[in-house]
This record gives sequence, C-alpha cells and structure tokens, in this order.
Amino acid sequence: MLKYLLTASLFGALISAPAQAQAPRVQVKGELVDTWCSVTGIMFATGTAHHMCAVWCAVGGIPVSIKDQQGNYYMVLRIAEDDENASNPRYAKIMSHEVTVDGELIERDGTKYLFVTQVRDDQGVVNLTHDENGIQPFGN
Amino acid sequence: MRKTILAVCFAFTASPQAQAAEAWGIEGEKLVEFSARVVDIACTLKNDCPPDCGGGKRLLGLMTEDGKLRAAVKASVDFGGAVRDLLPYCGKTIQVDGLLIENPAITMVMVQRMRENASQERRKTLTFQADWDARNGKSDEWYRNDPLANKVIADDGVYGIKGIEPPKQ
Repeated sequence: MLKYLLTASLFGALISAPAQAQAPRVQVKGELVDTWCSVTGIMFATGTAHHMCAVWCAVGGIPVSIKDQQGNYYMVLRIAEDDENASNPRYAKIMSHEVTVDGELIERDGTKYLFVTQVRDDQGVVNLTHDENGIQPFGN
Repeated sequence: MRKTILAVCFAFTASPQAQAAEAWGIEGEKLVEFSARVVDIACTLKNDCPPDCGGGKRLLGLMTEDGKLRAAVKASVDFGGAVRDLLPYCGKTIQVDGLLIENPAITMVMVQRMRENASQERRKTLTFQADWDARNGKSDEWYRNDPLANKVIADDGVYGIKGIEPPKQ
C-alpha cells in the first residue's frame, strides 16, 4: 500500500510540475537596440545616429533586444537579478551599447528570448553611424 | 446616378470601420485580427510570475488560441509599447488587430486596436500616452519631454557618447 501511495505521489508530482525545459546557456555579443525600429527597418536604426530614438523606445516600453553581427535578435527579459523588462531605466541608460552577456536562451514561435545572467563586457556606444545618417528619425 | 454617388459615399465612410488594421509597408508584415490571452512573457517562459503580470514593469505577450506566443512590442503611440494597453487584461482573452511581423530573425506584433469582445467597439492602443499625460502633463511629443529620456540624453549626449555633439545649426 505504501509503495502504491509513493508511486502515485511521485507520478502526480511529475505530471503536475510545469513543463520547464532546461534553457541552453549562451554567450551573446551585440548592440542593444529597440526591437521595433531595428527589425522593421522603418529608419536607420543602429548606433549613434539612432541612439536618441533607442532611448525613447526603451522608456516607452518597446522591448530591448541584443542584435548580434549575424543579424539575430535576442529580446532581453532579465538582466541578472533585475526582472523588470519594460520601461526599465537601467535599459534606457545602456541603449546602443555593445555588450557581451551570458544568459539563458529560450526560443519560441520564431522569437529568441534572453534571460541575461551576467554582463561580461560593456563597450559603450561604439557603432558610429551619425556622420552618414545624421540623427534618426527627425534630424534633431 | 444618385444611387452610385450614395454607394461611393457609403463605401468611403464605411471602410474605416471595416478595415481591421492599418498597413505600414513593413517587410514581412501581415494585417491580422485575432483573439488571444494576455500573458507576462517571462512568466510564460520561465514560470517567473509576479502578481498582475508585473504591474506594468514586464513585457506582455499574446497567447493565441492555437498556442503561439506573440510578443506585443508596439502600440499606436509614437515610440510607445503595448504594455499599458494590455495590462488591465492580464490573464484574460481579448481581441486585437494590428500587424504581425514575421522576420526570419524574430516574430512580433504591433497592437493597433483592441476590444474585450465582439460586441464592443475597437479602441486604439493609446494608453501609454494617456498615462504619460496624466503623470507629466499633456504633450504632443511625450518623448521630447520625458524626464528619464531627457536625463539619459543630457548625461550621454544625443549620440550616446559624452563629448560628441551634433554641429550647432
């Protein structure tokens, strides 16, 4: 009887546990961009030319992503212990920076979501695009 | 003739209601209208679930009826996301219309309008602007008058690099 109860309890625990697959750990290097402008291409949306707009978007609650050199987007959902990922002043202050981060990657339905566990390097803004592209989107 | 003119007038007045979403001409965009449950994205993916979908501090998504998670990245406000519009409906199913952007690198949704059910009028997603106006005073360009944005730009410059400024005009 005891064996039956233990087996039943274990089985019950297994089927009631949330289905959380182990997320692969990755290292990502790239620029912090506002996801909307950068993905849609409605303006030139990287580097110094777009920094002001990127700050506005981060403050406005548009998701922040890391765009790597291959053109992958990693939507940032956490930075270390900070799990506030919408209109977070911390994000606004590092927009357009080139960073290298460690994190957990969860890809779902065509989008890569990144839970950053550690910021390994922050080079600041290094992508100088303003000479060619001015200030996006309004020119001032 | 009179009948034709009336028909044309009707077509013009009726089309804004009939047309669900507004095209932006973005590569990979689809005009969509669908029902979905409002979810906290991080909660859905990692079972990290603060109360009330994070109370406005978490990115929200739309869980479609066929189980697809769509990040709601943009609302109808310039430079504004959809969190404020969706937040009151955390955990509830609503109807949205807007743009589904299917880029090889990412899939996301711009929520242009929403309603709780088919008996209601759709409303534009302008809550970010309304909330901002309530906190800061009315502004046609919230982003130019936002205290946080202005502080970040004042600290680091419009290019994000201290000491590099645009030429004086």
